[in-house]
Amino acid sequence: MVGPLLESKLHVPARRPGTVARARLNERLGGVSNSALTVLSAPAGFGKTTLLTEWLAAVPAGGPSTAWLSLDARDNDPTLFWTYVVAALQAANDGVGASALSLLQSPQPSTEAAIAVLLNDLHSVPHDLLLVLDDYHLIEAPEVHDGMAFLLEHLPPKLHLVLATRADPALALARLRGRGELVEVRAADLRFTAEESAAYLNGSMGLALTAGDVAALDGRTEGWIAALQLAALSMQGRGDASAFIAGFAGDDRYIVDYLAEEVLGRLPAEVRDFLVKTSLLDRLTGPLCDAVTAREGGRATLVSLERANLFLVPLDDRREWYRYHHLFADVLQAHLLEEHADEVPKLHGRASAWYEQNGDISQAIEHALGGADFARAADLMELAIPVVSRERREAELKRWAELLPDEVVRVRPVLGVFFVGALAQVSAFETVARRLSDIESSLGVTGVGTWPEEPPSDVVVVDQEGFKRLPGTVQLYRAALALSEGDLDGTVGHARQAMSLAPTDDHLTRAAAAALTGLASWTAGDLASAHDGYAACIAGLLRVGFVSDVLGCSVTVADIRRTQGRLGEAVSTYERALELAAVEPGEPPLRGTADMHVGLAEILLDRDELAAAAERLARCHQLGEHNGLPKNPYRSRVAMARLRAVEGDLDAALELLDEADRVYDGDYSPNVRPVPAVRARLWVRRGELSRAVAWARERQLSAGDDLSYLREYEHVTLARVLLARHAAERAATCIEEATSLLARLLTAAEEGERTGTVIEILVLQALVEQARGDTVAALAPLQRAVTLAEPEGHVRVFADEGPPMAALLKVLVRKKATGYLRRLLATTSRTEHGTPVHQALVEPLSERELDVLRLLGSDLDGPDIARELSVSLNTMRTHTKNIYAKLGVTSRRGAVRQAQQLDLL
Amino acid sequence: MSNVPTSEAHGSGRYEIRVKGRLAPRWAAWFDGMTLTAEDGGTTCIHGSDADQAALHGLLAKLRDVGLPLISVVHAEPDRPDTATAQPR
Repeated sequence: MVGPLLESKLHVPARRPGTVARARLNERLGGVSNSALTVLSAPAGFGKTTLLTEWLAAVPAGGPSTAWLSLDARDNDPTLFWTYVVAALQAANDGVGASALSLLQSPQPSTEAAIAVLLNDLHSVPHDLLLVLDDYHLIEAPEVHDGMAFLLEHLPPKLHLVLATRADPALALARLRGRGELVEVRAADLRFTAEESAAYLNGSMGLALTAGDVAALDGRTEGWIAALQLAALSMQGRGDASAFIAGFAGDDRYIVDYLAEEVLGRLPAEVRDFLVKTSLLDRLTGPLCDAVTAREGGRATLVSLERANLFLVPLDDRREWYRYHHLFADVLQAHLLEEHADEVPKLHGRASAWYEQNGDISQAIEHALGGADFARAADLMELAIPVVSRERREAELKRWAELLPDEVVRVRPVLGVFFVGALAQVSAFETVARRLSDIESSLGVTGVGTWPEEPPSDVVVVDQEGFKRLPGTVQLYRAALALSEGDLDGTVGHARQAMSLAPTDDHLTRAAAAALTGLASWTAGDLASAHDGYAACIAGLLRVGFVSDVLGCSVTVADIRRTQGRLGEAVSTYERALELAAVEPGEPPLRGTADMHVGLAEILLDRDELAAAAERLARCHQLGEHNGLPKNPYRSRVAMARLRAVEGDLDAALELLDEADRVYDGDYSPNVRPVPAVRARLWVRRGELSRAVAWARERQLSAGDDLSYLREYEHVTLARVLLARHAAERAATCIEEATSLLARLLTAAEEGERTGTVIEILVLQALVEQARGDTVAALAPLQRAVTLAEPEGHVRVFADEGPPMAALLKVLVRKKATGYLRRLLATTSRTEHGTPVHQALVEPLSERELDVLRLLGSDLDGPDIARELSVSLNTMRTHTKNIYAKLGVTSRRGAVRQAQQLDLL
Repeated sequence: MSNVPTSEAHGSGRYEIRVKGRLAPRWAAWFDGMTLTAEDGGTTCIHGSDADQAALHGLLAKLRDVGLPLISVVHAEPDRPDTATAQPR
């Protein structure tokens, strides 16, 4: 939850009496229901909000319903912005957005996921729905713009977006304009025409001006409505309208300045004083105004100001909250700064105190900052931060950290560590080391065990609980910092200290520290310690109920178990996680549920339970992309590619791996199974050896490399590439290199107790011996692999090797026909293998055609290729046609693929 | 590129912003201590100390918010002497 929402932001502003009818603009807005996006883009005071309000009031019953949201600067926090958008849509239409809201309230909100489920709901809304965002220019955060662009791209046909703004929004307006899906109302449209000015001045305001006076005013203001309003106010009750207009028209002062001075000059002194002093408030209510002006009767003053039409905009129907028209507020603030500059901090201080007493800490902080009372702002922040960070308003925390001067933070260790947490969360580590040292030196800490029991007198601590947690949290962030610098020993050292220093009930710090030790051990290849770390983390997270995070850790634990070859334990890890993630029917599924199904699918594939694996992947698909944690987009594609490959559709598998590579997000985990290496294995299987060799070269892999766990998967892949090269080229060096590389890999994997990897290496050793023609030597490693694999039910690690493996398994079965071996043999015999296409072409390509073919594999277009070869475009086309015919393809892409398979390039 | 001073490379420096309409001097404080110079022809030149791109955009947003029509933004010569007549604050 992002704190109490301001209901008033969701109200369509009240209509004002006496507005000028604007048929031509209403007609233009009539196009809203046919357009994705409507933009009212014009400077302040051009009547954007009034036009919308009037037009909406005239929408007939049965017309579109309206969700209204008046934005303010705080809505730059994506979580807050989307929570308000959902609230606005819910107010307009019951039954949408419940899932989105619960996603936004979850401990790890993903706004894109929330928007995706929101869109799902909106697709089922049967009638037209307008989402109006007023003052959209206040949104500057790119994260919010990205979300809006995503919304716009997937906008359901019944939803129409209406933005009122002073600056064109950062959305693809030109594209929408081109498609006719954009309605625009700009300053030139909004200006009052001469007729509208006359209708306003003489009709609504009853000024009885001559045609000449109206023309003069219209000319001087250029139809700017706010200026005309001010002018009308200045003339009310004045006998000499013509003289006033002549003076105004002949003056070159900034219009608003001139007119506001006229208006203010005619007000009683105490009203003028009230306006000026309350101008620093974003929102006004009687008691708040009383507090700021140190007078009484604020509520009555506000009511009378509204009645006098003095640029006060009511924010609710109860006449409790108002705001000044922005333009007028700016003029008033300029007066405030000129006349009472010395009082400004005091006025902000009063506003801050009032907000604190009335429970709005965020506003209290804003006014403390406005009055440059940083100590007060810091105290308030320290109290507010536990709530703000629980609500994941990291954007706000980061802004606070940037606004407070360092010397204020330096004497507030608890606040300082909160800021470090917010910065680490968004990977902004630049200042983290310095901030942590500041905290320790402010407390006189020189080493472990020197933390003071009580804060020293020159240090400010508001949150006493936070002070007790300080030694643990400081070490925790030191560990995170060390990890960001790639210092694995440092990470483990600091994380262990964090665990021993954190109070026993500080489960979150202990869980996070355990995860960091796990992550560091995993990166180093110490899987047993890594497992222990993550298991401890899961236990801690369960105590505080962070189930989504438990799901994320479960993926890692299961991955570790798989690498250790312990498929059964990996399955039970996922199954336990799925039990935790179970929700009541009707509730939205917990984020991360999809990841569990993908993980199970991988293990089912290991065991060749293809139907069950396909079903798990289908369930992931049903849950939708947004249900996944950050890694799931790529992991689900890798799993699906594997299924396709087992089914024999290698083209589909390759496409899925290309996609997986594009959407890769490792979410801070070490990349122990890189997608390009997975793809290189598929290339080997497809016989596209030149691509696999190119991959190995690009990754600078060679058989003599030093080995490390992080590159283990790549090195095993290299061994496969060497084996395939041996088969294709009969090169003796390849098989020698493969043999020695595999021997070294085996030792390393055995030392690290990575039994899953050991099995695969033994399988490859068997194939190498077989390739040498020594079947007897091949059987020893194969028998070992089978013995290790049988208890956990591994199948595909053998079956994927196809006919050569089937031949070896046949020999084993003849020796001793266990049920497991028979199953392995049956499955392996079914696996087709893409053998390298080595037959020569029926009709070989000419030298020139080979030149053209090579360039077809580049990015050059036809004319460029012709130029490159200094031939005419026609000649080039003839060559191309011949190449296609000889290769038996119909497209450039097909030609390139075929050429690669034939190793012609 | 290497001999371009970083300040210029990042678009900071002194800017002169010209708007339509004569602004009362009181706006100087609201514009965060910039200097306002009324000019012939009913325009005002807003200028002051060095501004980086973020400060410049902040200032332009303020102009937009009070509806002052923008006429020009000029990057002033770095070595130009300060011609300010009054320095508020």
